[in-house]
Amino acid sequence: MVNNISFSILKKTRRIFLLVLVFLSLVSSLRAETNYLKLGEQELSLGNLEQAKQYFLQVKPPLTDEDLDFLRARLILAKLYFNEHEFTLAKKQCEQILKYYPQNLETQNLLKAIKNEEKRFFQRFLDNGKKYLPALLKGTVMTLTLVLFTMLVSPLGGLVIALGRISRFLPLSLFCWFIIWMFRGTPLLLQLFFIYYGLPALGITLKPLTAAFWGLGLNYSAYLAEIIRAGIQSIDAGQMEAAKALGMTYGQAMRRIIIPQTYKRIMPPIGNEFIALIKDTALVSTIAMVELMRSADQLFNTYFDVTVLILAGIIYLLLTTVFTLTFEKIERKVGAYEQR
Amino acid sequence: MNKDNQVLVELKNITKRFGEVVAIDKVNLKVHKGEKVAIIGPSGSGKSTLLRTINFLEKIDEGQIFFEGKEVGYVFKRNKRVLDKPKKICALRSEIGMVFQHFHLFPHLTVIENVMEGPRTVLKKNKQEAKSIALDMLKKVGLLDKKNVYPACLSGGQKQRVAIARALAMKPKLMLFDEPTSALDPELVGEVFEAIKKLAQEGMTMIIVTHQMGFAREMADRVIFMEHGRFLLEAKSKEFFSSSLENPRIKSFLQKILD
Repeated sequence: MVNNISFSILKKTRRIFLLVLVFLSLVSSLRAETNYLKLGEQELSLGNLEQAKQYFLQVKPPLTDEDLDFLRARLILAKLYFNEHEFTLAKKQCEQILKYYPQNLETQNLLKAIKNEEKRFFQRFLDNGKKYLPALLKGTVMTLTLVLFTMLVSPLGGLVIALGRISRFLPLSLFCWFIIWMFRGTPLLLQLFFIYYGLPALGITLKPLTAAFWGLGLNYSAYLAEIIRAGIQSIDAGQMEAAKALGMTYGQAMRRIIIPQTYKRIMPPIGNEFIALIKDTALVSTIAMVELMRSADQLFNTYFDVTVLILAGIIYLLLTTVFTLTFEKIERKVGAYEQR
Repeated sequence: MNKDNQVLVELKNITKRFGEVVAIDKVNLKVHKGEKVAIIGPSGSGKSTLLRTINFLEKIDEGQIFFEGKEVGYVFKRNKRVLDKPKKICALRSEIGMVFQHFHLFPHLTVIENVMEGPRTVLKKNKQEAKSIALDMLKKVGLLDKKNVYPACLSGGQKQRVAIARALAMKPKLMLFDEPTSALDPELVGEVFEAIKKLAQEGMTMIIVTHQMGFAREMADRVIFMEHGRFLLEAKSKEFFSSSLENPRIKSFLQKILD
């Protein structure tokens, strides 16, 4: 009996105790919600930076001039961002503080420091850039040499192969088919390796530049040959007949009538190929040629500075942009006769 | 020998096959200098093919072609008939003008450049000479004012007149017209018709494949009706229409196209 009563009292007190606990925790959580600054500082002292930032961000703007929580929270936040070199974010925080506390000296100083540091960072990028640029430009000159050489040689090579391909003389046609098949069907990298490292085994040793010229020239001739062939075969057969009926030879008809009409049609795909060419020249860096990619690679391996890669990217983009615009211009010019 | 009666081009027993199909079946044709011959007939009868054999755009399988009394165009190599050397073929073609159904003007050249192209490239005339020839020819077809535009800006009738000027600029001895008005809108036929008629009056020797009966009647000295690669009827144009009445096949064909 006694046991029974004491048990029931015990049970009741436990229930009350639980209720009190729940109430207390509710109150404390309510209080905690109102003080994000403290929570943030707590997390900060524990080293949970991201969590701390979240709390600081939730501190509400002040209602009175005496309320300094906002100032303190955002100032810590700004400093955190500053340490992380997140200058834009740090600046934003400072500006928000100054909206409510325009006279706050500490914030003003911090903002100045941020701006200074920002300038220095950009300056460092420029200074480093200046250091790398001569070597990169030297590489660019080599890249341009390769590109221009291939752009001059491959249309001629392509035309010869294309004419051979459509020739009715079977051995010639088959030979040209074979050339196209071989150079389109294997990686350019492999072709370059074969010409530079492989041919010496057959007794032919070429300088890197000569090997690069041969590799790029042949490869791009093969690609352009198919474009040019498609262009020639897309011209109405009546054009050839009309030229022949005037008494022109096959060669005259091709040179004067057929091929000029292909320009407009083959210019877009050829422009495409030449853009690809600018980037493909990077492959010759593997056969001891120092062009843009190789220069960038060497600098990067010396300084481990990402600036080098960014600069190289910018130079490639500049080159491709110039060529794209030039080709668009040429395209408009050669197609003028179809506009009324 | 009377110059007017001289035979300019003669086809002797020519046969042309496309695989199994016999497009031209042992055809004989003589065209005298200054003569105008019209060839009519249903499509697929071999008219155009016949015309194209004359300037070797089609290779014949049997027979002989004579131009100004000389056999031309083919040689035998290991018992196989092959076209003569390109140089000779080109020289022959340069003396024969041809006008196509679909004009085939060179779209990348202006009107005057189109007309100059033959004299410049084939006859190796200098620019000045070629230009004065071209201007003469454009004047003849009434298109001087269009000399600097591209063919894309011309109507069908104008295009065909430029094509005629282009052929004439080579000073040909013979003109071949392959359905010159078939691709034109009816209201544009007249101008091309006039240009060809003018040429006929100047004494040009010509062979015209056409569907325009009025054309054949008004211009031709001789009209040939062709079917299945053979000449069904060959008559002076004045007599052609009366004689055609005797042949039911030709009669029904003429009735159809005249309706």
